Formats: sequence, structure tokens, C-alpha cells
Amino acid sequence: MPGVTIKGLSKRYGDVAAVRGLDLQVKPGELVALLGPSGCGKTTTLRLVAGFLKPEAGEIWVGDRCLSSAASVIPPERRRMAMIFQSYALWPHMTVARNVAYGLRFNGVARAERDRRVRDMLRVVQLEGYGSRYPGELSGGQQQRVAVARALVVEPEILLLDEPLSNLDANLREEMRFEIRRLHETFGITTLYVTHDQAEAMVISDRVAVLQSGRVVQIGSAEELFDHPRTRFVAEFIGKTNLIDGTAEGPSTVARGRLRLQVAAGDLEPGAPVAISIRPHQIEMAPAEPAAPAALHANALTGTVRRASYLGDAVDYQVELEESGVILRVAGPTPPRAHVGERVSLRIAAAACVPLADSG
Amino acid sequence: MSVPAARREAVPVRVRLDGIDRSLPVWAAAALALVLLMALPLGWLAYMSVSGETGPTLAHYRRALGDPALGKALWNTVVLAFWVGIASVAVGAPLAWLTARTDVPAKRLIQSLVLASFVTPPFLGAFAWVMLAGPNAGLLNKLWRALTGADDALLNIFSMPGLVFVVTIYTFPYVYIMIANTLALIASDLEEAAAILGAGRLMVALTVTLPMVAPAVVSGFILSVLQALALFGSPAILALPAGFHTITTQVWSLFQFPPKVELAAAVSIPLLLATALLLFVQKRLLGRRGYAAVGGKGAPRRIIPLGIWRYPALLACLAVMACAIFLPYGVLAKAAFSRAWAQPLTRDNLTLANVSFTFFEYSATRAAILNTLELGVMTACVGAGLVALLSYITSRKLVLGHQVVAFLALAPVVIPGVVLAVALFIAYTRPPLLLYGTLWILFVAYLTKEMPVGYAQADATFRSIPSELEDAGRILGAGRLRVLADITAPLARSGIIAAWCFIFIGVIRELSASIILFTPSTKVMSVVIFDLKEEGQFGAIAVLGLFMLAMTFATVVLVQALLGRDVLGSRQSANVAG
Repeated sequence: MPGVTIKGLSKRYGDVAAVRGLDLQVKPGELVALLGPSGCGKTTTLRLVAGFLKPEAGEIWVGDRCLSSAASVIPPERRRMAMIFQSYALWPHMTVARNVAYGLRFNGVARAERDRRVRDMLRVVQLEGYGSRYPGELSGGQQQRVAVARALVVEPEILLLDEPLSNLDANLREEMRFEIRRLHETFGITTLYVTHDQAEAMVISDRVAVLQSGRVVQIGSAEELFDHPRTRFVAEFIGKTNLIDGTAEGPSTVARGRLRLQVAAGDLEPGAPVAISIRPHQIEMAPAEPAAPAALHANALTGTVRRASYLGDAVDYQVELEESGVILRVAGPTPPRAHVGERVSLRIAAAACVPLADSG
Repeated sequence: MSVPAARREAVPVRVRLDGIDRSLPVWAAAALALVLLMALPLGWLAYMSVSGETGPTLAHYRRALGDPALGKALWNTVVLAFWVGIASVAVGAPLAWLTARTDVPAKRLIQSLVLASFVTPPFLGAFAWVMLAGPNAGLLNKLWRALTGADDALLNIFSMPGLVFVVTIYTFPYVYIMIANTLALIASDLEEAAAILGAGRLMVALTVTLPMVAPAVVSGFILSVLQALALFGSPAILALPAGFHTITTQVWSLFQFPPKVELAAAVSIPLLLATALLLFVQKRLLGRRGYAAVGGKGAPRRIIPLGIWRYPALLACLAVMACAIFLPYGVLAKAAFSRAWAQPLTRDNLTLANVSFTFFEYSATRAAILNTLELGVMTACVGAGLVALLSYITSRKLVLGHQVVAFLALAPVVIPGVVLAVALFIAYTRPPLLLYGTLWILFVAYLTKEMPVGYAQADATFRSIPSELEDAGRILGAGRLRVLADITAPLARSGIIAAWCFIFIGVIRELSASIILFTPSTKVMSVVIFDLKEEGQFGAIAVLGLFMLAMTFATVVLVQALLGRDVLGSRQSANVAG
């Protein structure tokens, strides 16, 4: 089971650079999600890995084979990969069984063995008995399963998925996330998974690579990305966050107006601009206590509730800080504890204040 | 993961072959064939128009523009084209509105009749109207005299108004198609939004519907004008006896002995530029939607009740159809099965003699039928294959300069048949390709002329097949040609057969290029019909005409069955010149 190594990959469409010096390493058997907004180059990257596109620069390696470089590209049919498309790309003129069996024709698999493997795979995706149907006669979820079966039955070295769930309705999508994760754990195929849905990426993958403007800006587990976003973009793209622009006062202190925050860093250069990210649910809110002592490594602030929106499972507050006029969003438990106009005190652990690398 | 050892080993060896896509020569050859097909004749045409005995010269242009006869023909053409454009809009627009937006009865019938008018070769209609409204023997005039006792004819088809009339009844479908398809794309909610704001029915029509349809109206007008500019058959049948020329008949007469090829070239170039300009304007009007303006899903539409006007409206539609279909087809049928077409259809007058004469006795018609069928099948097969390759290249962007390929494939739309014939005559009466005098020159002419229609159809077909379907095959181990055979071809089949049919229909009715390129041994049906007119053989003309129509309609029915939809909806590109 080889892994995938991408070095300095670049691809332009006319004047537009879709991928710009992208580096990525996928370990053998790992599932990495490529996450980013539309136009970030994630699908282009996937199609480069599949061999549908030729890079202008950079290399794509699978194990010890260099599959793509600016000089030569091994065509898709000789890459031992499989791909699941956003549209499923099932062939409407072939039955489900023929769709699934198609890739086995080129694997030198004998006919009897082929039939057996198709049957087995249809059972795995819970489509037993659907072999003689045509794709047009199946529901969206079933078509999705056929696409999965067709990709897995050839036992590819690398599996590529291009937003495979985006055409499903919300309930089915959630169900299929777990399904894909289960299949990955069963087969253990090295997998690249493209999506713009952060929840999907976090549920399905071992690691998430966040793409912005054709580059990987951060890669890590869901927790790492959520708790330690490295840039403004990552902090905002993954979950909700508060961004505060300030100036470093000491190695672990950031100031904005009269606001002083202890942050999760010890190496800030005094005087440098620093942006910090604070997750709404990591802010503790209580009715205002005039002389609350500041706990060690914690920031105690006061503010006034400007808006409170009841969301069912949480309350979304907007609190204007007295120290600086900054408005923080705070996620509080239900039932609502504070009303609009009420003064509140906020506690934020220093570890929850994450300085970002691209603060300038 | 079990990967067979052999497969693993094979990879490094194959890497070198991968630098060159093995299917590339196929694409390159198809693109090159297209370039030759287009560039060679047009290049010769341009060259010939400026070549003199002592080097480049503008003398031919000076002569062409200075010749009063040519000037008169040019003016006649402008008059004809303008009035045909106006009349086509006047007929086609209300008809389109009635069928698209009102509860006029028998919509399917009206649509079928418009389609019938669309595929009727205009020169057949012109013949039929000679029999109907010729000043002496025309049946309608005889009826008029019998009814009123008058001595004078009511109608004289051999006149400019007569010509405009006959051209219009087979040209208005272009306007109809443009407008009906546009109306189908305008959702009623846009109109309802205006109605909610207090606009009356007339106000809505004037302020919302009309402005949205205006580009389609103008572009339908331009297509009709183009059609009239390029037409040869109807002017030749109606204008020449009336003693005037249009530009196409003038070019044709320059080829009568002794041929003045340089002059014909010098007249052709401005005609070509004019059609190119008009088509450019039309494309701009439709914006980037271009030919695809008529695609898309039909939006929900509100049907406007006509009330007491329902049946008068239907009658008006049928009156148009009587002129375009019922009367002409009727008189053709009468002529085909009677001894004397101008006499009443009595028992004595009924005969199958014309049929047996045409198919079995008269060698010229028999040979022409065989030539036409041979050319039709051959052109359609080669053409369908070629447009399939070309549109595959352009829709999948397989070669560098695929936009040029798309442009060239559609470019013949601007070339009137007569001009194409002049260009081909010049290009293929000299080495290296001496095709003149053989069926091959007609084959090349038809292939070039029908390319845009076939290409538009094939292109729509491939665009409807997502390239992801092919990608899915590639990544599972199938090479490009394998994927083409297993996946693309089966999915594209009915669309390509439809392209075949469109080309076939175009070929069997072609007159304007054939009339210049034929030689005694390479006559086709349309040319023979034209010849028979000189001999006054109206019975044989009618039999041939009906046979041509029968083949056309059989092919249309086949296409409708294949595509499961209306031909009018898919045949968007203008097949300039009939």
C-alpha cells in the first residue's frame, strides 16, 4: 500500500493559476480530505493526481513511482487508481453489474472471478439484487453506492473522491459520511477526498488539508485545525470564530485599546501586529461581578449584551467589550442567561486565544 | 491490495509511449481534413477574383461593380431579401406566439405543418406555384376566370411580389423557430410579475414580452434575409421568366458558355462578405447564447385564452399552411397522377404513366435518382463521421486550436451555395485534385455545405454527454479509444444518426451548388427537375418532387423517433441557401 507525495505542484488555466506550488504528503492507508472554498484548486489537484491534467511544474509520486511531472504524465488508465465523481458518472447505458465490472476487464481478472467480485462488492454496498437494474432506475443514494462499488471493486492503490456527497440530500449525506468512513476502515486504501464541507471533512478523514488559492495552508487532524488554526483563513473557514486584531505587548500578551489578553504563545515580538482567534464556545459568560479576580492564565473581561439569538441547542450572543468596543460572539448554553442590554463578565483561557501566523 | 505482478512491471516500459497520445493522429487528421475542405476552395476563390494576366488586379471587381446588369441584379436581390425578411417576420412571429402562448386549437398540427414547410425544398414550392398561379394556365387563375368571367389573370407568380411570396412561405419557419423557442424560455412569472404590478395584458406584451423577444425577431429577420440572398432555385424559376435576375442567377449565368469564372469570383466575394456580416450581427444579437439560444428547459408558461378568436386564429394559421403546403402539395400530386396537369382530374385524366416514365423509362431521371441517393448516403456517412470526430475534438478540447476547428466547421453557414460552387469549380478543375466532371466534386460541395448543420447536431450531442463519464472509464483502466468505443459511442449514437439524417435531407434537396457543378453524367434530382422544366415535363417534375418529399419526411420521422423530440427544437443553425 503506497502513499502519495505531491511536490511543488502547479497548474494554470490560461492566466489563472489554479494550483500554485502545492505540497502534500498522504501516508499509506491514510484518508486525507482536501478542504477549501470553490476555486481553491482542490478539484484541480485531484484531477492532476488522477492524471487527467498535466502539471506545469512539480511532481506527483505514488510509492516509488513518479506518475506526473511537467515532462511526462502517465495516463489515468495506468495509474491503478479509482475515482468517485461528484455526478457519480455512472454509465446510463450499462446495468449496475456492468458498471461495477467495467474496471475489472482491464485487470486481467477471469470472468467467473469478475462476477464473484462484483456480487461481493454489491453486497458490501448493500445493493444485492440490483445488478440488472440501470442507473436511471436507482435513487441518488443508490447511484452513489454503485459509484463506490465500481471504484472499490478494482482494489485500487489510491482512491480519489470528488465531492461525492454533494448531490445527496442532507440526511442521506450524513449517513453516507459514516458509510464512507466505514469502507475506508474496512479496505484501508490511501484516499484523497475533496470537499468544501468542513463537517464532512472532519468526520471522514484522518487529516484535513485546508487549501487556499492553490496551496495547502494547513494540514492536521480535525482537532488540530479547530484548536490551533494557523491562519486567519483557516480559523474562519473551520467553525465560527472571533478575530481580534491587536499589538503584541509582551511575549504572551496582546493589546487592543484598553483590552489586554493573555494568549497561547510565548514568543511574540513586542510591538508587532497580532491577530488572535477565539472560538465562541470557549468563552465563559456570567452575570457581571464588579471586582472579579483574574485567575491565572485567564482573561477576565466585561461587556454588554447587544444581541441574543436563541438557536435551540445554544444561544448566540454578541457582547460588546467595555475595554475596547470589540464585539465578541459567545456561544452559551440554553436557556438564555443574559438579556440584551445586560452587563456580563467573560472569562477566556489563555489557551483559547490563538495567535495567527498571518497577522499583518 | 493485490496487484498482478505483470501489471506492476509493465509501467516503466510504457511511460515513454505515454508522451504521445496514440489517438492524437486521428484527431489531427480530422482537423486537417476540415481545414483543407474549407481553405482550398475559398483560397482559390479569393485568388481568382484578383488574378489577371499580368499579376494581381482589381479589374474583375471594377467590371462586376460597373456592369449595369449586375447592378440591377444586386438591387433585385436586396429588394427580394428585404421583403422576404419583413414578410417572414409578419407571418412567423404571430404564428409562433399563437402556438407558444395561446390556446389556439390543433397546435401539434400547426407545428407539424411548419416543420413540413421548413423541409420543403423551396424550388419545389416555386414549381407548384407556377402551376397554381402562372398567368395563363395557373389553376387559381383559371378558377378566377371561370368564376368571374374575366379575361385577365388574377395572379402572376412571375413577378417580384410573386417571388417574395413563394420564398416567404418556405422561409418564415426560421422566424417561427427563433421566436417559439425564445418564448418557451421566457417564464410566465416574468410576465406575471408585471401583471401583478398593474400592467394590463397589452401593456405586459409591449413592455415585457416584446423586448425579450426582440432579439429573436431581429435574428429571425436576418436569417430570412440570408436565406433569400442565397437562394437560387426560386429566383431561377420565377424571376428569369419574368425577365429579371438576382445575384445568384446572375452568378449562374456567368457560368453559361462561355464561362466568366473570374467575374463570378469577383461577384461571389462581396456576397460572401455580406452573408458573413449578417450572420455576425445575428450572433451578436443573440449574445453568447449563439446557436444554443434555443436550448434550455421550458419554463412554466401561462396560456392566454383567445376566447372567440380561437377559431379565426386557427383559420389564419391554416391559410398560411394552405399556401405553403396544401395547395402546392395538392397540385404536385395532381400533376404526378394526371395526363394533363391543367385539366380537371377526371377518370380519363388519371394515370401512372408519369411514375413509370420517371422511374423506369426516362434514363435521365433514373440516373439522377441513383446519383442523388448515392451522394446522399455517401455524404451523410462521411459527414456524420467527420462531424462526430470534429465535435468530439472541440467538446473535449483535444487538439491545440480546437476553437479554430469549431469556427471552421460552422463557417460554411455563411457561404451561399452558388458561391461555394464557384469556389469548388475553381479549386477542383485543376491539379492536384481534378474532381470536376465526377460525382466527387458534388460530394465535396455537399459535405462542406451540410457540415454546419451536422456539426451543430453532433456538438449538442457530445455536450450532453458529461466528460466525467469518460474520465470514469479512464481511471478504471480503459484507454481513450477504448472509452470512446465502450462509453461515448453508445451514448452518442442516436445523436449522430440524427446528424446523418440532417445531412442526408440537405443533400437530396440541394440545388444551388449542384446547378453549377453538375455535368451531363453527374446530374442529380434537383438539377433534373430544373431541366425538365425547360422541356415542360411537369408530370415527371411532380413525381420526382413528391419522391424527394417522401424521402425527406421519412428521414424527419426517423429523427423525431431517435431524438424523442421535435426536429424544429434541435435544428437551430441556419442552413443558408436551399
